Order: sequence, then structure tokens, then C-alpha cells
Amino acid sequence: MRIVIAGAGDVGTHLAKLLSLENQEIILVDANREKLGVLDANYNLMTLAGGPTSIKTLQAAETGKADLFIAVTPFESTNITACAMANWLGAKSTVARIDNYEFMTEKPAEFFKTIGVDHTIYPEFLAAEEILTALRHSWARHWFELHGGEIILAGVKVHSGARIIGQELRNLTRDNHNFHVSAIRRRHESIIPRGDDIILENDIVYFTSTRQHIDDIRDLCGKVQYKVRRVTIMGGSRIAIRLIALAGNEYKFKIIENDQARCRHLAETLPDDVEIIYGDARDNDVLTDADTVHSDAFIALSDSSEANILACLTAKEFGVNKSVAEVENLQFVGEAEALNIGTVINKKLLASAKIFQLLLDTDGSTSRCLALTDAEVAQIEARPGSKITSAPIRNLRLSREMTIAGIIRDGKGMLVSGNTTVRAGDQAVVFCLGGYLHEIERFFS
Amino acid sequence: MKHSHLHKTGLINFPVLLKVVGWLLIIESAFLLVPFATSCIYGEKDSMIFLISAVTTAVTGILLNHCIHPRTKTLRKRESILLTSLTWIVFSIFGMIPFIFGSTHMSVSDAFFEAMSGFTTTGVSIIADPASLSHGQLIWRSLMQWIGGLGIILFTLAVIPMLNSSGGVHLYNSEVTGITHDKLTPRISSTAKMLWGIYFILTIVLTLLLWIGPMDLFESICHALSTVSTGGFSTQADSIGAWNSTYITVVITIFMFVGGINFILMIKALSGSLKTVTNNEVFRVYCKVIAVTSVIFAILIALNTSSIPAGHIIVNALFQVVSTITSTGYSVSDYTLWGPGCMVMITVLMFVGGCAGSTSGGAKLDRMLTVYRFMRNEVYRVIHPNVIKGVSISGNVLSAEIINKTVAFILIYIGLIAGGAFVLSSIGLPYIDSFYSAISCTGNTGLGGDYVPVPEAGKWILSFLMLTGRLEIYSVIILFSKSFWKK
Repeated sequence: MRIVIAGAGDVGTHLAKLLSLENQEIILVDANREKLGVLDANYNLMTLAGGPTSIKTLQAAETGKADLFIAVTPFESTNITACAMANWLGAKSTVARIDNYEFMTEKPAEFFKTIGVDHTIYPEFLAAEEILTALRHSWARHWFELHGGEIILAGVKVHSGARIIGQELRNLTRDNHNFHVSAIRRRHESIIPRGDDIILENDIVYFTSTRQHIDDIRDLCGKVQYKVRRVTIMGGSRIAIRLIALAGNEYKFKIIENDQARCRHLAETLPDDVEIIYGDARDNDVLTDADTVHSDAFIALSDSSEANILACLTAKEFGVNKSVAEVENLQFVGEAEALNIGTVINKKLLASAKIFQLLLDTDGSTSRCLALTDAEVAQIEARPGSKITSAPIRNLRLSREMTIAGIIRDGKGMLVSGNTTVRAGDQAVVFCLGGYLHEIERFFS
Repeated sequence: MKHSHLHKTGLINFPVLLKVVGWLLIIESAFLLVPFATSCIYGEKDSMIFLISAVTTAVTGILLNHCIHPRTKTLRKRESILLTSLTWIVFSIFGMIPFIFGSTHMSVSDAFFEAMSGFTTTGVSIIADPASLSHGQLIWRSLMQWIGGLGIILFTLAVIPMLNSSGGVHLYNSEVTGITHDKLTPRISSTAKMLWGIYFILTIVLTLLLWIGPMDLFESICHALSTVSTGGFSTQADSIGAWNSTYITVVITIFMFVGGINFILMIKALSGSLKTVTNNEVFRVYCKVIAVTSVIFAILIALNTSSIPAGHIIVNALFQVVSTITSTGYSVSDYTLWGPGCMVMITVLMFVGGCAGSTSGGAKLDRMLTVYRFMRNEVYRVIHPNVIKGVSISGNVLSAEIINKTVAFILIYIGLIAGGAFVLSSIGLPYIDSFYSAISCTGNTGLGGDYVPVPEAGKWILSFLMLTGRLEIYSVIILFSKSFWKK
């Protein structure tokens, strides 16, 4: 697929590297020549210096031949203009990064389609959704519901004492076939496990199961579901505002923000029942004053990844059960997961999941994706006549880097074994390591 | 985004390096079948030698490729740089086998020198009379130049899917000449395919054009291979002069000229945007330099020789200028009689070289133009110290880093020539010859002299200069620095 990415910022660069690894044809456009030099010399992609809204630049990038045009500059209006122009030049599909919740509602979305913006990404909104899911399912690290919860993927960190530790996977699933262990994240590596793999202490294990059996997994891992009610947020960022708007009355929020002007702004925009505290959340006194001890969850959303990680660790010591940290530095995501931080939020990963979804299925309606640090989970429909439907799974010689975690057939979720044959029209949930998403596409279309 | 860099691996991932070398050797063995087939057609004894060389190369390649299973397949910067230099050396080692055991019976130093001269498209030879060689040997010499012309690794980038990755981009950058490296397409393998496509077409067209003229098919193929690659091996001792044909001279001049143009630019021109070519300042300077020096040459020839008709003078002058600036190294007639003025200019042209991204050698016009504009600004600043001026080429302002890199390159290049000449003179070469051959080999031109009497050690030094010049210094020189091997 030929993909033009406008804007070599954090998200653009991350997408370019990732998609290049997926064997896509990437052209990265940015007005800043210096930003492009290193990427051009080190990655299998092409770069082009020029403004993303310049017709000349867009033509030089052969936008007309592009299957996908992604505008992820820091400026919303630039992105929208660039997408409109790309569409006019002949790009098959366009995605703009936006900054305004209004644009996501149905009517404006329709209007944007008419001017050539086919899809929008709003990373802050995606982050807020992700945090909300994490609060609702506080015992899991990752929680990914497919098809209205017919299939659930849960990533759980197993601590010492859990029944599951030290067991071979094949013994684990012998007596009951209620779940599927799709992947294990051990230290800095993701593993697609086989029957003889053993679960170790501190692994993050990704289980796939159906709604009825998900509680069994919780017991197996020795976890308890805490009811979260009181939430402390560090940093009154845009994600925080979106989160509060999205959560409604479900939780009681408290924001600690160390910028006075920002505090005032928050007080004006947020509902009255949100408590806003001026102070530095890294300061123990402030945390004590804010009564963090009685919070059920602590969410660190400041600009600094390091501060977020440390603040979450401090909050844990204060006795907070669930912690969520925004970690924008990808290198630190793995580190943060290895530490005792409940859920790690990364806007780049959320944005790339959205793009992967479009890659697998250009109209983005039947597929869903979840991007992890070095793996992807995709929900994808098996097309009639595709390779995946040709034989039972055990005879397909799937590559060791991917596994089918479950399928949704006729609206019902079911787990798969080696003997299952995927039928055309089934929605399959596939877990694959980074750089192999194009393999999935090969099997399913 | 695998966290593979967090594993404790050695500084250099040798398994993956050797695996790729294995791939490359399998490709070289396929090329060795061409002289084998040629020898068979002409019923020469050398055919067995070529078959044995091909089989040896193939077996080594297959063993390396199949028996080594690297844990990680990523080629990082270090591996890529080492791989580039290693490939050229390994290719020369296997490419020299036919010269050692064939009818030529060369010593190892001679054979390596000949093979390195071939792959780097230098074109110096220790064979006094190429007409005495078998057809197999002749086509192998030309074929080596053709493979090396655009780049050994560039060819494999087009065919090995494993290299269609970041590692491949590193390899591309360390092999393709020039200050910066343009890509034609987002994927490196398709860029490589397009480059080889146009290279192949040019070769076919030239073969046909030469065949129409007074050359036979075999010699047309040999000359086409070593002209498009701006290599300069000929099948005759008198080089192109042997045919004494204006048609051949003109046709070869045109294709040498084409070989000295940036191939990326050529493809852009063919795909319809002719304006990018005419607006390209390096290309315009390339044309101007050739035109001006040819006129000066013609005047000097007319002054220094008698009884040569005017038309002849112009053709010969143009031929010699193009042959030198593109680093081909063909000579049309005895240019040494044209007087010292011409010899000095030839030496300068050897230093300058053609456009970056072409098959030519030398320091490259792009760099000369950059340094010239930079110097002009500095001179201007002597009187107007507060003026800030950018160095721009074809409308793109170059960053300070690029200018630094270019100036450093020219300085190292001069240092390399001076050092090489010093060592050569200290092992017994005359003063003029040491300098001339150092410039000629570093610039991959291959003009001049008789290399038979050069001592063994001198041949290894010249081989080193050829390789360093071809890979544009940094990739080779860095291997001699401690920091490359140490953590």
C-alpha cells in the first residue's frame, strides 16, 4: 500500500517507522528538512521536504497514487486542509488528526467526508476511552472488547502466589477450554506461546475468552475486582478534560495541577463536582493534603513521562489500588509495564492502532485494532475464498509470529483450537508480533 | 518495534553479515557462468576454470547462507558499513580465481589487482595486450566492471527481500556515491530495480549501436559492458583507437557521457519531468566543464601536433575529456603527445570526476561545486565579514553539516592521494608515476601507464586506493578507526 504521511512529529514518525516495517510504501512529508534527514538515511521509506498544504509538495509526493493519506501535523486545520487537498488530488482515503471533540459527532463527520476527510483520529479522545476501560476493569492491564464484548482480550500481570504460575499452557487448558493464552509479555519481549511454554512470575499474560468465562481468569490469576469510585488525576491535560466529560457521574474526580492559570481554566470548564487542587503531585505533602490515600485510582497525565511513572509509584505506596500513567516515550513503556504501574497510556500506540485498522480494511468498519508496544491485535473478517478458510488452523502453517485467539461467528464469540476451520464471514481475532500485520492481510483477503 | 537492541549481542552481528555475503556469492557464481558459456562457445580451455570458479563460489555461498542462522536479522549501521567493504573484497577474491588458474597464470597480487580494478571500474590492467586473452577472460573483465559500475550490493537490494529493510537503506547509502542519497520510490528494492533497469537498457542499446558499426558482436558486448559502467577495460591494447572509426568514437563518447550522469536524474527525465534535468545545476556544470575543456584541448592539440584534420581533433578532444571526467579511462590515440598542458588538465579532470549517483569515480562534481560555492562565499566575506550567505545547489540550500562533510571529504581524498603517492614512491616508483597512478586509482579512472613493473606491495596499495575511492572513503576508512570495533 502506498501511504503518504504529512507531519514528522511524534505520531507521524512512529507511524512511518512502524508501517515501513510492515512492508508498506511510505512517503513522509514535513516542512522541516532537519527532522527528515535521519529518518531518510535509516529507514526504508522516502522523505520529502515541503509544506503539507502545498500543492507542489503533495504532487511531488504523488499523493494522487496514494491509497492512504495521513495528516498528523500538530495543527488541526492544517491536517484538515491537507486531507481535503489530498482527496482532491486523488488519494483513495484520508485520515486527519483532530483536536476537537465536536468533529467526531455524526453530522460534522458527514460534512468532513464531503470535503475529503474520510477518517479522523483524536488521540486524546482515544486515550480517555482507554483510561475509562482501565478504570472499569481495574484488575487487568489491558482490556479489549470485540463485537460488543462477545470476545474479550485481557492482559493480566501475574504476581507471585497466583495459581497459574509455573504451569505448562497445555495442562492449563486440558480440563476446560474456556480461554486461550494468546501472548505473553516477558521483560521486553512479546512471545506467542506454544503448548510447552510455562507462565512465570511477573509475566503479562494476554488471555482471550468469552464474557461468561472472563471471571475464571481473574480467579486463576489471583486478582480481585476493586470498585473504583474516587479518582485522583495529576495534570489537567486535554486527556483529563476529555476523560471527565466521557465518564459522567460514574467517578468522583480530583485534579492536581501545578500551573495556577491552568487550574483556573479547569475550574471554569469542568463540572462543579470536580475538585481542582493547585500543587505539584510529586510532592508528598500535596498528595497527603489531597487525601490520595482514600483514592481508588491515580492517573498521571502530565507532560513528562518520567514524572508520571514516578508519581504513579508514589501513589501505589500511598495505597492506591489502580494507577494509570501516560508515557509518551516509547522506550519507557516497557519499563513502566515492568514496574507496578497498572495501565500505561501512549497516544502514539493508540493512533497507530487506528491506522492499522484502516490498513486491514480501508473503510474501517469491520475491523478493530489494538497496538501494543511490539505486538498488534486485530479483528478481521475472513473473506470468501481467502487462505485462512481453506483448512483447519493446525494445517495452515501459520507463521510463529501470529496466533488466532478467537472468532466471532454469527454474532457469537467462540474460542478456537487447532481443529477449528475458519469460515468465510467469520470475524477472527488475531494476535501478531510487530512487523507481521501484512502477513495477516495475506491470509485473510 | 522489537526491543532486540536490549539483548546482549556482540557489537557486530557477524552471523547475519556472513549470511548476506553467502547470498552475494551465489549471485556472483551466476555471473561467473557467463564467461564459462563464452569459453564453451569459442571452445577454449578456460571454460573448465570458469566452471570450477563458479562452483567454488556457489558452494561457499550456499554453505554460508544455509548453515548460518542469525538470531536477529537486522542489519544495523556497523554491520552495513562492514558488509559493504567486505563484499567488494570478497567479490574480488572470488573474481580473481579465473586469472590465477586460467591461461593467464597470474600471481595472487596481480590477479587481485586486476579483479579489484575490474569491480571498482578503474580499468587499469597488468595485461599488456588484452588481445592475447581468451574470450572468457575478456568478457569476465568487462562483466566485473558492469557489476561494479552501479554497485554490487545495489544489485542484490533488488533481488533479496531480506534487504528490503532499514539495513538495505544503510547499504544503499554506503555504496551509492554522492553527498546525499536520493531515493526514487519509498521501498529501497524498487529504487534498485529501476536503477538496474535503466542500466540494463543502456547496455543493450550500446551493444546494438556498436554492433551496427565496425565491431563484431563479442567486442560490442565487452565494450558496452565497460563503457556504461565507465570502467574502461578494452579488448585491444590500443583501446578504442584500434578501430580508428569516428562512428565508434562518437557512440562511445555519448554513452560515457550518459554513464557520468546521475542515474536517478536520468530516470526522472525518462518519466517525463525533463525540467528537473535542465534545472539541475550539477548536470549543467557537467556539460559546461566538458564543453570548455574540450575546446581548450582542441586548441592545445592543434598547437602541439601537426597534420591532424580539424574534425578529428574535435572528436578526439571531446572523447578524451569525457573519458577522463567520467573516469572511464579509454584513450583514443596517444594523448601523451598532446603536451604538458593537456596532461595537467587530465590529472585535474581525474580528480573531479562525474556526477554523484552515476557510475563514474573521482571526488564528484557535486562536491566540487559545493566546495567552490563555499569558498566563493568565504572569499566574499573577507571584505564583507558580516554577510551571511547560504550555499545552494539547484535551489536547495545546503545545511552546514553537509558542507562540513563535503569539505572533510575533499580533504581526506587529497590526503589519501598524497599518502598513497608517498608510499608508492618510497617503494620505488618514479615521482610522477606515483602521483599519477594514485590519482588515477583513487578516482577509479585507470588512465595511464604500464602497471606490470609496479612492485607487489604497490599493487596492494593501489587496490586499496581503488576500493577506498569507489566506496567514497568513509565506509572503508572507518574500519581503521578504533571506535568502530570498540564499545
